Amino acid sequence: MHPSFFNQLLLISQFELKRGFATRKGLLSIVTFGVVWYFILLYPLRFTADVLVEDNGSNQHFSFFDFIGFGSLQHWPIPEFGVFWHIALIIFPMLSVTLAADQTCSDRERGTLRFILFRSSRNRLFFGRFVGVMIIQTLLICATALSTLVLVLARDASLFASALPNLLVITLNLILAVLPFTAMMAALSATVKSARQATLWAILIWTFLAGIISGFAYYLPALSFFKLLIPGVQLAELTQLSGWQTLQLAYIPLLQSFILLAVGRWIMARQAL
Amino acid sequence: MSSPIIQCKQLNHIYSGNFALNNVNFELAAGEPIGLVGPNGAGKTTLLGILSGFLHPTSGTVRLFDHPPGAKQLISKVSALPQDARLDPSFTIAVQLVFYGRLQGLTKPQALLEASRVLEAVSLTEISHEKPGTLSHGMAKRVAIAQALIGKPALILLDEPTAGLDPINVRTVRTIIAEQSSATTFIISSHDLAELDRLCQRILLLEKGILQSEILGQNEQQAATRFITLQMESAPAGEVITKFTAIAGVLQVTNPQKNEFIVEYNPALQAQMDLQLIQCINMNHWQYRQLSHGKSLEEKLFFSD
Repeated sequence: MHPSFFNQLLLISQFELKRGFATRKGLLSIVTFGVVWYFILLYPLRFTADVLVEDNGSNQHFSFFDFIGFGSLQHWPIPEFGVFWHIALIIFPMLSVTLAADQTCSDRERGTLRFILFRSSRNRLFFGRFVGVMIIQTLLICATALSTLVLVLARDASLFASALPNLLVITLNLILAVLPFTAMMAALSATVKSARQATLWAILIWTFLAGIISGFAYYLPALSFFKLLIPGVQLAELTQLSGWQTLQLAYIPLLQSFILLAVGRWIMARQAL
Repeated sequence: MSSPIIQCKQLNHIYSGNFALNNVNFELAAGEPIGLVGPNGAGKTTLLGILSGFLHPTSGTVRLFDHPPGAKQLISKVSALPQDARLDPSFTIAVQLVFYGRLQGLTKPQALLEASRVLEAVSLTEISHEKPGTLSHGMAKRVAIAQALIGKPALILLDEPTAGLDPINVRTVRTIIAEQSSATTFIISSHDLAELDRLCQRILLLEKGILQSEILGQNEQQAATRFITLQMESAPAGEVITKFTAIAGVLQVTNPQKNEFIVEYNPALQAQMDLQLIQCINMNHWQYRQLSHGKSLEEKLFFSD
């Protein structure tokens, strides 16, 4: 009996989880991220939240937060989540560009993909790896969100009930935010020879795409529509929103991911291995 | 003839303007190992890449067991040892072999058993918990052969299975192929003609992307003239040729290399030519190293008229 599409998708993504959490290289990345996150949690996040709690509606610090683009912090009922929201929207897409860079490239260069493709299809492999990397990032997002929740409860345990819906919406939005970046890395990984090349190309393509489209849109506002092609274009707007309002932009990352995955699948299908 | 396991029709593959394969047509049935030979750049790896589904041909059709390469119906039916492909260095051999078994539809206990079986087949059970980076070149090659044996496929494509191996490992690989060839058809691409001569009944010769010939071992048995190849200890070539030519039934004696003689004879006139030659050698007090029926593969492929 031939294994079904979903069965193989599950097996391939499970193997990616093993790569992420049960290999020396994977564990090193996770531990490094954990240490960095610990310091973010301990200093910028806790410090800013403390300032906002002390501020207690006097607005004396908001001009500064407005100045650095964190003005919407005042809309978050739990300040820690507001700060987490802003920081995570920057960190996780950046993390995605490195963490998701090696979806297929080094296995292709080493020839390991050939062993797998005798037992699976290119589509199953491509989507299986993508799902695996997305699950790893989802787990990291959940871990950071829970650590922030612990910080909130340490300050005031009575906030637990009101914190949960906020936590859910932030987690959901962050997963959506990394989705197009992971899809972009899947497409790039199917093209280039190493994870490092994939990361460099991602930075270059993203910078030029953002620069060129924004430049054209400045002179010809009708072209603003093409801004939707830039992964993460909604992030700046998202930082100005709070609570369930943030999901009103969910169509952008979903659309981008769909297009980028279609491109990546097309590259993978035509690739000589 | 049983239905073909491989069918290639008008197969072309173009690399940067040059034909890597040029109108290749052949059909192969299941059976004894089949050799694929040709000089460097002849298109052997390209052909195996297309059969494996790693490359898409520019034009033409390929069918394996009546399915296109890479079809899901070929999972567990066709496998390969791709040239220079290596396992993932992050995982142990056992973990990867179990993963491959599971992708082929085995349950976890079945995949564990299968991983042990294939490692035993290549005499490497003791390294199952090692990572690929710790293996020698010969061991890595045998592990790569082991992965090809998972699920007992009916067809295995081996691209240069003995390249870069020491004689002991070459012998081990040869034994593995010989042991498995009762249930599996092997297609072996190699430059080692002596190795292919030992293993294969049938040879495909590719030159500049063109399939030059299909050589069948059994055809020799029905031929009007036959050949005996003799490796002599140092012997006077001129005298050997004169004395051998004088034996009844000998048609021609050639001396392609130092101390090597090829005797062409008519089996209808002298059925036991090997005994006649040994008698002649004995009478003249010469010494011989080896006597074999037929020409060597090298002679057949590259130096025959």
